[in-house]
Amino acid sequence: MITADHLVKTFIKNEKKNKKSEIKAVDGISLAVGDGEIVGILGPNGAGKTTLLRMMSKLMKPTDGTVRIRLGEMEISDDVEVKRNIGYLSNNTKLYGRLSARELLQMLGVLYGMEESDTRERIEEISSILSMDSFLDNRIEKLSTGQTQRASIARCLIHDPQVYIFDEPTLGLDIISSAAIIDFMKKERERGKTVLYSTHYMEEAEHLCDRIVMIHQGRILREGTPDVLKEQTGKDSLRDVFAELIAGGKEITDEY
Amino acid sequence: MNTKIIKTLLKKEMLDVFRDKKTVIMMLVVPVLLYPLIFIGVMQFMAFVSSSMEEQNYRIAVEEEDGGAFYDRLVQAGEREEQETEEDEASYKMTVVDAGSIAGVDAGRTPEPEAEMPEAVLKAVEEALEKEEIDAYVSTRFQDGKMQYDVYYLSSEANSSYAADLVTDVLDEFQEELTRERIAGAGLEEQEILEPICYERKNTASGEQSLGSVIGTILPFMLIISLLMGTMYPAIDTTAGERERGTLETILTLPVTNRELITAKFLTVAVIGMVSALLNILSMGGIAVYMYQVMELQTEMEEIQVMKFVPAIFVCILAVFAFSLFISAVTMCVTSFAKSYKEANNYITPLMLVVMFMGYSGAIPNLGLDSGTAMIPVVNICLLVKNMMVFKIDYGLIALVLISNIAYAALAVLLLSKIYDSESILFSDGKGGLQIFERRENMQKGGVPTVADTVFVLAAALLLMLYAGSILQMKFGLAGLFGTQMILLAVPLFLVLYTRRDIRQTYGFAGAKVQGYLGGVFLGVGLFLFNLAIGAGMMHLFPKSTEQLETNFSAVLGDSMIAALFVVALVPAVCEEMLFRGLVFHSLKAKYRTAAAVLVTAALFGLFHMSLVKFIPTGLLGLVLCFVVWRTGSIYPAMLIHFLNNAISMVITYCPEQVGKVFPVLNQSSFSVSEGLLLAGAGAVFAGIGGMVLWKGTEVKKKV
Repeated sequence: MITADHLVKTFIKNEKKNKKSEIKAVDGISLAVGDGEIVGILGPNGAGKTTLLRMMSKLMKPTDGTVRIRLGEMEISDDVEVKRNIGYLSNNTKLYGRLSARELLQMLGVLYGMEESDTRERIEEISSILSMDSFLDNRIEKLSTGQTQRASIARCLIHDPQVYIFDEPTLGLDIISSAAIIDFMKKERERGKTVLYSTHYMEEAEHLCDRIVMIHQGRILREGTPDVLKEQTGKDSLRDVFAELIAGGKEITDEY
Repeated sequence: MNTKIIKTLLKKEMLDVFRDKKTVIMMLVVPVLLYPLIFIGVMQFMAFVSSSMEEQNYRIAVEEEDGGAFYDRLVQAGEREEQETEEDEASYKMTVVDAGSIAGVDAGRTPEPEAEMPEAVLKAVEEALEKEEIDAYVSTRFQDGKMQYDVYYLSSEANSSYAADLVTDVLDEFQEELTRERIAGAGLEEQEILEPICYERKNTASGEQSLGSVIGTILPFMLIISLLMGTMYPAIDTTAGERERGTLETILTLPVTNRELITAKFLTVAVIGMVSALLNILSMGGIAVYMYQVMELQTEMEEIQVMKFVPAIFVCILAVFAFSLFISAVTMCVTSFAKSYKEANNYITPLMLVVMFMGYSGAIPNLGLDSGTAMIPVVNICLLVKNMMVFKIDYGLIALVLISNIAYAALAVLLLSKIYDSESILFSDGKGGLQIFERRENMQKGGVPTVADTVFVLAAALLLMLYAGSILQMKFGLAGLFGTQMILLAVPLFLVLYTRRDIRQTYGFAGAKVQGYLGGVFLGVGLFLFNLAIGAGMMHLFPKSTEQLETNFSAVLGDSMIAALFVVALVPAVCEEMLFRGLVFHSLKAKYRTAAAVLVTAALFGLFHMSLVKFIPTGLLGLVLCFVVWRTGSIYPAMLIHFLNNAISMVITYCPEQVGKVFPVLNQSSFSVSEGLLLAGAGAVFAGIGGMVLWKGTEVKKKV
């Protein structure tokens, strides 16, 4: 289980008229994702999704607030230890093109503190799950898009983390590749893992997520199961809920 | 830090870098293959060219006003050369022709032996030289009872120059022979007259030392460049390259601390730099040995014992290691700001130029290694290597050079880890760069110029000032100084207007409270007294440069004090303030912390005066003025202080006696230490009061 407690991230930006302004990209978000649960983050561009996910995976330091991971009875909040238990994937997490997938995974095994024999077994296991055998020893820059995507998933899997954080993992992928990722998330949920991900694809989120968190201007707008959200707004689909909430966002936040 | 993690990261970086073609080419192919090939190729080419030049047949035309005496001599010399050289050896031939055989010369020749060469003949000779019909022309005539031989040649033609040298040699020979003949004719001992004393130069340097001094001037530069080249690509690859390929975020997700990450990257670059430099040295050493062998076969040379260089080489390798740490850290600091290869290349170019320039210090004759130069990066390595090559060994200095390099490297690594901690750099979107070349309609209205724009314009203004300004000042004196100030005003103003920025905000045109002016003036007076003490100290430390500065300055000033006050006090108070405390300070402040903006502006203002002696006082003035602008939010008090500061100096220069009567201290050229301390103390008190008034009396608007 991963818990974010009142996360705030402030950027200082040079805006128009050159007054320095502080932008609160994330403005006090508290969030908990349990084991065996997929939570989807929805929100328009610039809502703060990426910043939130980067803070939760300890890529960025929050201006305020804490992130913790719970492993059974253990509570972890140290940056490096949290990272050790997260598999993070985004559009910006490219792979080292000049290494082969096997070399990369071996290196990651050491960095995650795994035993060499365990790493070797794990690589075999992952390779057969994602059917990577044919290209495991090729340089990553020579792989096709789909193969690269599988190698990226393998990268997140190598240390068998408790928590997965994916930032728009299906963006720009073809149906087969994105289906593979969605499939993967479902399987991990069955294994009792914690999955938090952001997306722009409403149908995908509606079908996949146990819970939806809609954020807008750095704050949580609504939170709940897809069905509850539809019921609350009286709409038939998540797409309409989203349009309603974001378009009329202002009034809704006011009464919220 | 976990060594296992560092080792793994290091291995990964190494693999990554070595699988990049560019690095391998720079590291292996260039030094190991290209250098020797280029070198041997150049040698072959030179040999070919020089042999083809020496086979040349030089045609020399000679007048015969001296009865053909020199003509005959030249012919003899040519024949002698032909006899002396063996058949298969490349040599030259000298063909002597009668001047009369050249078209245009024959007709124009004058019968009178004392006449100057007529225009028409000169023209014909020039033409013949241009057309390479002849390579040299010797005119002969009588002048003041002597024969005068003039050798005409074309210095832009290598053959013609060489022919002239040959003719001059024969003339020298001719001169000497005639001298001997005359001395003998007068019944004197020719040896006694011509060589009353004997002398010889005896070189006490060993063959190793002579060789070392030659190597010592070239090797440091080669070392610096090869290290720079060797570290450049890995530095770019591990920093900007990683960002361009999008793997930075990946590596940040790993359970690895920033320090481990940076240590691994830094070690990668440093090790590759070292290997590359050692390969370079080996390759150059190979060339040197080859050269030595060739020369030994051709000429007799003093035996060189290579073993004697072993300690020097050992220290040089240590120096290479220390320098590779330093240069890797510095290049990585620079490239870390870049988001792509291309950008990193742009950033690294100025660094390269500076390092290359400093790398020349090994070739500067009078620059030696001492405890001062041992602290200057790059220069210290050059001088150390130079010293080692001539067997000047000072263990203290060697240690100092190595330690200072390592210390600078450590500082740079520290800075690097700050950069890698800064999310605004790591996740930046790359906006806020140079705007001035954007389309004007795309420029955002208002605000202050970006830092990049300001730096660009500042550099342009300074360059203009250096070239145009100094010429203006030399030509027009005080008026030229005025022109220089106008450059400093106009160039930045153009930027502000062209990029549609807010003039008031950029320049701080805003009202200030009375406390602001009052506190500022007190602060200014305090600083003036303080600077008097510093000036006296500088005078004591660098008497020559201070004097030089004063004479230079008084040369520009005219007789009129009013004019001088206007040009030297009022105009700079407006123009320099607008540039530094206006544009530079505000654009820096908009991006960085206020303290950083103040310090950088002050340092730039100090450097702008381009004098070592003036750096501290002007830098301090810059500091105070920035502080005043920051506290008051207005540029006007700063202008007032700047004016007063310059005006007081002017009044002292023009009326020293009158000023001396009222304030004796101002007309004193030197102070005792206690007087200086007293002055500085008084200055500090004044400045303290001014600072307090400013601090209490003003309120800095909080950033929104």
